[in-house]
Amino acid sequence: MVNLTIDGKEVTVSKTATIYEAACEAGVHIPVLCYAKKLLPYGACRICLVEVEQMKGRLIPSCTTPVTEGMVVTTTSDEIVKVRKTVLEFLLVNHVVDCPVCDKGGECDLQDLSYEYEVVTNRFEGEKFDLPTDEVNPLIERNMNRCVLCGKCVRVCDEIVGYGSYSFINRGFETKIATAFDRGLNCEFCGQCVSMCPVGAILPRPFKFKARPWQLKEVDSVCGYCGNGCTITLGTKDKKVETIRFNDKTGVNDGNLCIRGRFGYSYVNSDERLTKPLIRKDGELVEASWDEALAAAVEGLKQAGSAAGVISGARLTNEELFLLKNLAAAIGTDNLDNSGGECYKGVTEGLQQTLGLQASTATFPQVENCDAVLSIRSDFYETHPVFGMVVNQAVRRNNAKLSVIADKRGKFTKLPNARTLLHKPGLEVNILNAMARVLLDEGLAKTERLNGVEELKGALADYAPETVAATTGVDAEAIKVAARELAAAENAAILLAYGLPYTAASKELGIAAANLALLTGIAGRPGSGLYLCGEKSNSQGAIDLGILPGAEGMGVQQMLTAATENQLKALYVVGEDMLSSYPDRDAVEQALSKVPFLVVQDIFMSPTAQKAHVVLPAASFAEKNGTVTNAERRLQQLRSAIPSPGEARTDFAILQGLLTGFGQDAAAAPADVFGQLCAATDQYRGIDLEMIGPQGYVWGGDILTPITRNLVPVAGTQPVDAEYQLLVGSSLYHSGTVSTHAKGPQAVVAEAYIEFGREDAKALNIQEGDLVKLRTDAGEIQAKAKVDRRLPQGVLFAPYHFGALKLNKLYRGQAAIPVQVG
Amino acid sequence: MTETAQQVQEEEIDLTAANEVIDKYQDMHGALMPVLQEIQEAYGYIPEETVHLTAERLNVYASQIYGVLTFYAQFHLEPRGKYIIRVCMGTACHVKGAGRIGDTIKEQLGVGHAETTEDLLFTAEYVACIGACGMAPVIMVNDATYGSITVQKTQEVVKKYQAMG
Ligand code: SF4
Ligand code: SF4
Ligand code: SF4
Ligand code: FES
Ligand code: FES
Repeated sequence: MVNLTIDGKEVTVSKTATIYEAACEAGVHIPVLCYAKKLLPYGACRICLVEVEQMKGRLIPSCTTPVTEGMVVTTTSDEIVKVRKTVLEFLLVNHVVDCPVCDKGGECDLQDLSYEYEVVTNRFEGEKFDLPTDEVNPLIERNMNRCVLCGKCVRVCDEIVGYGSYSFINRGFETKIATAFDRGLNCEFCGQCVSMCPVGAILPRPFKFKARPWQLKEVDSVCGYCGNGCTITLGTKDKKVETIRFNDKTGVNDGNLCIRGRFGYSYVNSDERLTKPLIRKDGELVEASWDEALAAAVEGLKQAGSAAGVISGARLTNEELFLLKNLAAAIGTDNLDNSGGECYKGVTEGLQQTLGLQASTATFPQVENCDAVLSIRSDFYETHPVFGMVVNQAVRRNNAKLSVIADKRGKFTKLPNARTLLHKPGLEVNILNAMARVLLDEGLAKTERLNGVEELKGALADYAPETVAATTGVDAEAIKVAARELAAAENAAILLAYGLPYTAASKELGIAAANLALLTGIAGRPGSGLYLCGEKSNSQGAIDLGILPGAEGMGVQQMLTAATENQLKALYVVGEDMLSSYPDRDAVEQALSKVPFLVVQDIFMSPTAQKAHVVLPAASFAEKNGTVTNAERRLQQLRSAIPSPGEARTDFAILQGLLTGFGQDAAAAPADVFGQLCAATDQYRGIDLEMIGPQGYVWGGDILTPITRNLVPVAGTQPVDAEYQLLVGSSLYHSGTVSTHAKGPQAVVAEAYIEFGREDAKALNIQEGDLVKLRTDAGEIQAKAKVDRRLPQGVLFAPYHFGALKLNKLYRGQAAIPVQVG
Repeated sequence: MTETAQQVQEEEIDLTAANEVIDKYQDMHGALMPVLQEIQEAYGYIPEETVHLTAERLNVYASQIYGVLTFYAQFHLEPRGKYIIRVCMGTACHVKGAGRIGDTIKEQLGVGHAETTEDLLFTAEYVACIGACGMAPVIMVNDATYGSITVQKTQEVVKKYQAMG
């Protein structure tokens, strides 16, 4: 620690702090423009100059100067004010003063500083910038006439996002921020640059002329999309969500978001929202009152009793899931499940068998300090983009060694010094096994407290790196190095994502990853962690609360089979468009057609809802109170920001209504139910809402210690022999099927596509945008082609979000689907 | 990144030379400048596709390379003429009528400052003092200097190079 004096106040701060940071701690305000907490020190704008007694004779930039013992700092003096004013005058020479029509007006640093320093005249004169506005894309507008060249956009897109859209170009007066070849912005539209820009040079287009900042009501909540669980602040006006506000004060995401969180909110305002309950009469779905609809639902489910099934999505709040579980009990059925019923088995069975846990062992921020990271299967930049940004920081700021086991290239594989173990589809387990074998062979494994070492050794006989190299197409040396790095690292992380499009070998992958985590000591070691990240905002909550088949119960797949065989009498589906997103569309279709009574609760009239006998209109995340648990076990609070459209009700209220129908009293408010669910759930016991602060609350603490340490042998697979194989997955711009109702993501990726590598496209004579067909025995799909560089030869990719593509006609949960093109 | 039609078109450029340059520097740290310089030597300018290639192979952002290319005057993003005619616009030359010399070239070849003829034979460049004020006005064609130049002499010089093709 270092002691210093700032404006007469004594402060003690860490020795790595800058003067600016010390001043913040002391509550002394120093103006900044180019400084940002989450970016590396830069020191370009000179607005933050201060005097330091020990460094007399010049003014010192406080944002880059480290504190030293005994420093005496003065932050305001006549000279300092004069210099700051000059800095502002210079900035205002070429800056067009657009304040009356600039969306940033009211929260613009330049405007505020000019006001604070009373810059009413300008001693300098010069040409005003007259650059055309970049409004090629529908989400982000760039008006470089307002730019103050602070470089924050350039830095955030590089340091955090790892995309690198911008650079300073030209020199002198001509200097400006531009994309490569000064074209319109075309990037991943995460909006980080929008949130960093201190002026109105980079703005969210959907928010243009919607509201002045001070007219907005701000509500802190949690992104409704993925298991990353980013804190977001909704900006609402007139009962509508108009924007997502930048907020780096609460939450664990430092204000970072992805396109879905930042621009994917508009579906809540959509005209297509369901607003009234519907009941099927004479084959038609017709509007009904809530009383009628609830009574019909209760009646049908009651009659079915133990032959009813309940299937949930993983975006309900914990409170809602708890009520749902109670409802299943009230119906008298054990047939309860979520999310297609397979994809989470890596956690519920894989981790359970090995570690005795059903969750990630550590928290996201710890990854920033890792020396080695192993990412398996999905590109986190696509499935959990903001966690991807954390990994990027580990790589860039901490020189972490990143190994990526992947079937296609992606942003992870492009990070500095990333080692890509590019393998033939579906062979991840083989590679993980080979890595385990390397650890054991080379005496690197920390086997002391582990069970099953000898069995595992025996089972790995066929997984010598060289053998696995031959099967998977990955270099044997790369496998060895990746294993050694993981073993050598003081802090290391293993990452695996799961979700509806990633169901194949779920359990096996979970086990193989856990084996590695045990052999390297990563599981349970402070600073290190094994992360199994769910697809949806409350995937972890669904597991914690046990939205899973009961002792005698059926899971989703069995329920579907049972329905087809006329064994299931009723099905209640909450927040899932099974037809569009579950593997094996034909099976789902048959089951839904056969089941005598189908209740669907959703916010849109999904293809699944169209088959229902009763449709219950639900609320979006922006209309709810409750808690969700993200992929690092962090509980956070959703807060209702707007009312639901029409008569739509929260899932909570609907479930209460149904429970009442079953003669049960449900507690009146989510807060009360929270108390009940904590009492009933081991992991949550002792938590109360007060404990869920701005950073949420991580159940089990930052590090979860394994309860068992069992190595479990798990077999790999053989590569599929086919000229072309189709991978199914998640696209960065979308999440589940909900985002296809949101304007932001739709503006960038409006429809399904089939992606080809360049070589294949050339060989097949396919151009970007051509209509292409893929065929298997199960059927045929057709979509526009996209040509890119990330796919290896013979491998195609299609995103699973778009129901219209009927991709799940071909996709039945395979790791890769052999297809014929054309 | 989806390839735009423009990039696809650019692909007509033979990337062998650029690849060879990058091969040499692939494992060297901070190799961007020499790579760009040698690519320019090989192609006479920096074709867009070589920027994307360099970005991909050296793992730097294309935007960053573009920043470097626009910062240093030595790099050219457009094809350049076989003959670079530099018209000195320094003070001495200006006083002695450099403006007219520039106009003459424009009339004759149809190219002004930083422009290149369609046949890629000539690029005109107006430059600051080239240190031969004693012979003002001055033009240079590649490495050859022509001093005390007149409108008529300019025309002759241009014709001479046109004849050389
Ligand atoms: S939106 Fe994101 S990816 Fe695009 S330029 Fe801004 S920071 Fe970079
Ligand atoms: S556009 Fe905004 S963030 Fe980027 S340099 Fe200019 S003022 Fe800074
Ligand atoms: S979709 Fe996921 S990563 Fe993106 S903002 Fe929402 S929670 Fe964060
Ligand atoms: S804020 Fe310190 S130099 Fe810009
Ligand atoms: S001014 Fe032309 S050579 Fe000096």
